[in-house]
Amino acid sequence: MGVLTLDILTTGSILFAVAAGLMIILGVMKLINFAHGAFLTTGGYVAYLTGLAGISPWLSIVLAGLLGVAAGLVIERFIVRPLYHRPLDAILATWGLGIVIGQLITIAFGRGVQFAPSPLSGTTGVLGVDYSAYRLSVAIIAVLLACALSALLSYTRFGLNARAVIMNETLARGLGIDSGKVRATTFGMGAGLACAAGALITPMLSVDPNMGLPWLVNSFMLVMISGVSFPSLLVASLVLGGAQVLVSTYVSPILGGMTIVVLAALVLRVNPKGFSRA
Amino acid sequence: MFNTRNFLLATSLSVAVGAAHAADPIKIGVPVGLSGANSVVAPSVVQSAELAVEQINAKGGVLGRKLTLEIADDASGAQGAQRAYDSLIFQKKVDAIISMETSAARNAGLPIVNRGKVPMIYTSLYEGRSCSPWMYANSWVPDQQVAPVVDHFMSKENAKTFFLIGSDYAFGRGMLEFTRKYIESKGGTVAGEEYLPMDGSDWTAIISKMRSVSPDALITSTAGGAPNVTLTKQLRAAGIKIPYGNLSVDEGTAKSMGADAEGIYIAASYLTSLDNPENKKFLAAAKAKFGNKLETPNDLSVPEYEAIYAYAAAVEKAGSTDSKKVVDALATVAVEGPRGTIVMNKQHHASLTMYLGRVKADGSVEIISTFPDVDPGEQCPRLAN
Repeated sequence: MGVLTLDILTTGSILFAVAAGLMIILGVMKLINFAHGAFLTTGGYVAYLTGLAGISPWLSIVLAGLLGVAAGLVIERFIVRPLYHRPLDAILATWGLGIVIGQLITIAFGRGVQFAPSPLSGTTGVLGVDYSAYRLSVAIIAVLLACALSALLSYTRFGLNARAVIMNETLARGLGIDSGKVRATTFGMGAGLACAAGALITPMLSVDPNMGLPWLVNSFMLVMISGVSFPSLLVASLVLGGAQVLVSTYVSPILGGMTIVVLAALVLRVNPKGFSRA
Repeated sequence: MFNTRNFLLATSLSVAVGAAHAADPIKIGVPVGLSGANSVVAPSVVQSAELAVEQINAKGGVLGRKLTLEIADDASGAQGAQRAYDSLIFQKKVDAIISMETSAARNAGLPIVNRGKVPMIYTSLYEGRSCSPWMYANSWVPDQQVAPVVDHFMSKENAKTFFLIGSDYAFGRGMLEFTRKYIESKGGTVAGEEYLPMDGSDWTAIISKMRSVSPDALITSTAGGAPNVTLTKQLRAAGIKIPYGNLSVDEGTAKSMGADAEGIYIAASYLTSLDNPENKKFLAAAKAKFGNKLETPNDLSVPEYEAIYAYAAAVEKAGSTDSKKVVDALATVAVEGPRGTIVMNKQHHASLTMYLGRVKADGSVEIISTFPDVDPGEQCPRLAN
């Protein structure tokens, strides 16, 4: 029972960490960033490279985040900004960007599978069971991240501006908020979060040029049902991630892989607002 | 008089034809997964083929003719294989197919081989029981690989209950189904058998399930590459320490997993550390030809090398590249290669010497025991030999 609880908590938190970057971009920019999967993969390769260089794996998460922010700002300026008035084309552009990044990674590192060292190895005793120490720390990081992001939106000037842009962009601009700057910052943050999440999950898995794709699908579904709110994304991740663990454990891991997508579709059918309170 | 002249004419003509014939190279088609899942091992397979052809040509070729290779990418799957086989057999008109491919690619290519009637040697380990009068296989099938691991776990590690984990596709399920039957026939029990889709990477639920039944030993058969690695890492992170046999890991992958791979048992027909003169000669020649570009030879690339020698020997014995004659000869020729002496005389399959190895901390594989001449069992009962 203890193991099952921990499986659900950790799976949910990992999903949250992976989806957070996608949500913030969707919320502020009304843009589904299909390059999210490629950003995750990029973060994975940062973890791989820092591992090769012998740098602390914890530091790789920070480095990946910084690289993501920088890349995000550049991409926003040259690819996304010219397409603000053509939202559908902007989405297509991010899709194409994802393919380009994937191919660049393939050229640089090949199609093979690479590994990153784990900052923590072995197990630690929680709730009377020995559980993977790194998985637990990822869960803790995800919860801290959820708190930090919520605080950022609720208690800072940037958060206030971002919320204003989310609610009514025209009105926000009329009030003197530089919505272009808010958008640029947001895209940088979203890309940074995605890269950091990639570096965070890679030590548990492995990285190859297509690593991000399955995560993109699940993140997309979670963001769709949680509206623009980090607490509701956390709830959605825990509920759907929990369902995935339960189905995998008691029915079949093959069906478990589809649980999130199917449940998200059902949630949207029954309640189009999903888990968001708005 | 007239007859004699005719005879002379015919003789001189046939000599002329023979001479023209001798100049034509013998074409060997090699469909291989340069892209897709097999892309990790494909370069080593191509190098093996190139080395064998170069060595044979240096000694004057076969029947006075040189060998040439036609490499085609099958994209590791059925669709790519159809294109590759079609172009090799019907456009490039190769004399034989010698391929290391996924089971999906082989199954897609085999009907084209049957239609084109060319000899084929399949050099990848596989789930067994794929039969065609035109196809031979020179690597291992479950009947040869599973027994060493299971027997070792039962006798030396005193294992009675086993847990099986695999990827959800033909090879994964085929191997574990055989493993389950074998364990049960030896009086052991299978406490659980779980699969994850081929692109799945989160083994958490399966590992938790395994812990709840606490088996004595674990045997896995995943797709090569990513699934294999993620499973191993997550097993280690979860603190699983029971004997762990991996039916689908090769030496190279084990090396790249680092410390996580330590203690994994593998069963193979080829390991680089094999201590025999043929293997040393092979490794030295490969090193000399490819230098630091050499891809580590492995259980998938060495059979390709031997298969080209087998084909050359069969053509030599048949006296021509005639498909029917070569196919008959393939069952009889013996190849002395890095894996020992191999004859594909067991229903188009071969008896092989299998090695049980254990991965050491530095990634090298220590040979624990040797099982000489393991029979492939009943693979294709309707093919005479």
